[in-house]
Amino acid sequence: MTIAVNAGVEGTALKAAAQEWGAAHQTRIEVVELPYANLFEKEQLDLESRTGAYDLIMIDDPWFPRLASNDNLAPLPHDPDADFVQSCLNVCRYPATTGRYFALPYVGNSQLFFYRRDLFEKLKLNAPATWNDVLDAARKISGSEKMYGYVMRAASGNAVVADFMPLLWAFGGEVLDANEKPVCDSPAGIAALKFMLELGKYSPPGYAGFNADEVSAHLLEATAAMSINWPAWIAAMDDPSKSKVVGKIEFARMPNGTVKGVGELGTWVLAVPVASKHVNSAFEFMTWATEATQLKQAALRGNPPTRRSVFQMPDLVARFRAFPVQLASLESARPRPRTPVWNEIENAFGISLSEANAGKLAPEEAMRNAARDIAQVLARAK
Amino acid sequence: MIRRLANLFRVEGFKWIAPAMIVLVALSVYPLLYSVKVSLTSASGAFTLAHFRRLLDDRILFAAAWQTLLFTVAALAIEFALGLGLALLVDSLGKARGFFRAGLLAPMLLPPVVAAVAWRLIYNPQFGALNGTLRLLGFDTTRLTWTSGQSSALFSVILVDIWEWTPFLFLLLSAGLQAIPVEPVEAARIDGAGAWRIFCDVTLPLLKPTILLALLLRGMDLVRIFDQIFILTQGGPGTATETLSLYIYRTAFRFSNFGYAAAMSFVLLAVATFASRRLIRAMGPRRA
Repeated sequence: MTIAVNAGVEGTALKAAAQEWGAAHQTRIEVVELPYANLFEKEQLDLESRTGAYDLIMIDDPWFPRLASNDNLAPLPHDPDADFVQSCLNVCRYPATTGRYFALPYVGNSQLFFYRRDLFEKLKLNAPATWNDVLDAARKISGSEKMYGYVMRAASGNAVVADFMPLLWAFGGEVLDANEKPVCDSPAGIAALKFMLELGKYSPPGYAGFNADEVSAHLLEATAAMSINWPAWIAAMDDPSKSKVVGKIEFARMPNGTVKGVGELGTWVLAVPVASKHVNSAFEFMTWATEATQLKQAALRGNPPTRRSVFQMPDLVARFRAFPVQLASLESARPRPRTPVWNEIENAFGISLSEANAGKLAPEEAMRNAARDIAQVLARAK
Repeated sequence: MIRRLANLFRVEGFKWIAPAMIVLVALSVYPLLYSVKVSLTSASGAFTLAHFRRLLDDRILFAAAWQTLLFTVAALAIEFALGLGLALLVDSLGKARGFFRAGLLAPMLLPPVVAAVAWRLIYNPQFGALNGTLRLLGFDTTRLTWTSGQSSALFSVILVDIWEWTPFLFLLLSAGLQAIPVEPVEAARIDGAGAWRIFCDVTLPLLKPTILLALLLRGMDLVRIFDQIFILTQGGPGTATETLSLYIYRTAFRFSNFGYAAAMSFVLLAVATFASRRLIRAMGPRRA
């Protein structure tokens, strides 16, 4: 069997599981680790040309609608059990939410809000329950401490869109409406972008080019006090060899805006290409790898689980202090719009957001451009 | 003419060139023809000109084309000027020239991806070596955001290219300088020509074929620039460093629109071919 995985902690955990399963079943499993930037294109080419090069593939959930289209994936022989977190299961169906299951969730990622608890206590600030609390705290911390109050990633493309989506949702905005028409230029969308630019005033200069590593470097070096971030960075925050803020960072759910705040879902799912030559073995391994005992092993190797029961295991809760909030965030997290052309929409949206953050466009113009470009992408896809 | 064609298709000759022809057809001609087909095919498999029509109405493509042109012209001009200057300087060093030549080639020996990753760290506004050094020297670096700035991003990636690829032009031009016979230079000197006159009227004309080759090779590489920008800026902020190759890659492999990517590739091919032919005509040997 050949498995394509992301070259990172997600893939490392699945690779270890594959070696264990292969030894027990006397099956040779080759794990192909591909960088995030190349994984999608390799999987897409394999699926579209039906080469059967991979028997199991690891998919980032926004890619799923694209990869599951054209009957590229084999449907699951059985529906998944109810222990999986519902938001993670929803992104395994095609069409979204109502269709058949074509995947099982393996890594339960959703955005969290990271903030410096020690500074909030020192400055007698309330925990950031709303985005206005965040802005207020950013202003005060920037004014009184030798650091930036907030840090965000606003590099063109995926980075800036990922940091903007929780703001957009908290202000009641959407990228697409129920009829798949772009509505990001609504008053709520423009207000969200204006708020993002306001937060940008308390972010380090150059944040318009920042990606996840720069944002996390600022938190780890104690040069910024708050950010939206992903669970993969939690361990680093409490690692004395990497962090100057051990035990000082609190992990929280996304702050509220005019509506309840939610984080973006970033679940990694496993699926079997329809052209696989080992469909049965692949399903057998996939089911085994997503059982509670295996997801516990994956959690110990650094992957957030996708099952409620694993999040609630007392030994894991004692070891991973953010697990309760991770579960709460994951249960309410929202996926990116479920459209096969999300990559292209995200690129168009990201360009306008990035131009606004770099000071090239006013918020209204940026959102108008984004809506126009997204409408063109959708028109071409029809 | 007919005899020439007949000679071309003589079975005896074909037999000898067949292996090379088969490899060429399989690796070059077939993919080229296939990409023509892809560029004229819609997602449903029908014939279409829509991909070529879209070329006229794509703001990202125009931005990418303009940036590719700016990047190519600026980087090529500066790399050529520096490469020629260094080649002349090192050529005049006598015995020490071997040592300096080896040292100057070091950046070119690094894989472009490694160089880009190193520069990404160097350019980091807060933790990078560049702003760190400037701060030590007493400069205010608050506004120096390098690859993150709307106006400084393209300049920053050009700077990386100059650092990495000036040695390539230096190497070629240095070899060209060494191949120039000493007699015309000595004759000019005996006739009383100064250093500048010798450079303009003897060295440069004799170096012209090498200059043409160097500009062509480097120019074609610059038009296809991808790896440095992919690592340093991903085309951002906005579309400030988007180039044609990056946009074609994204269109094909991120958006799965191979038809439009193929159509853009043909435009890039046409522009590169046109520019190369103009350069050859401008600098190549004149035919009587």
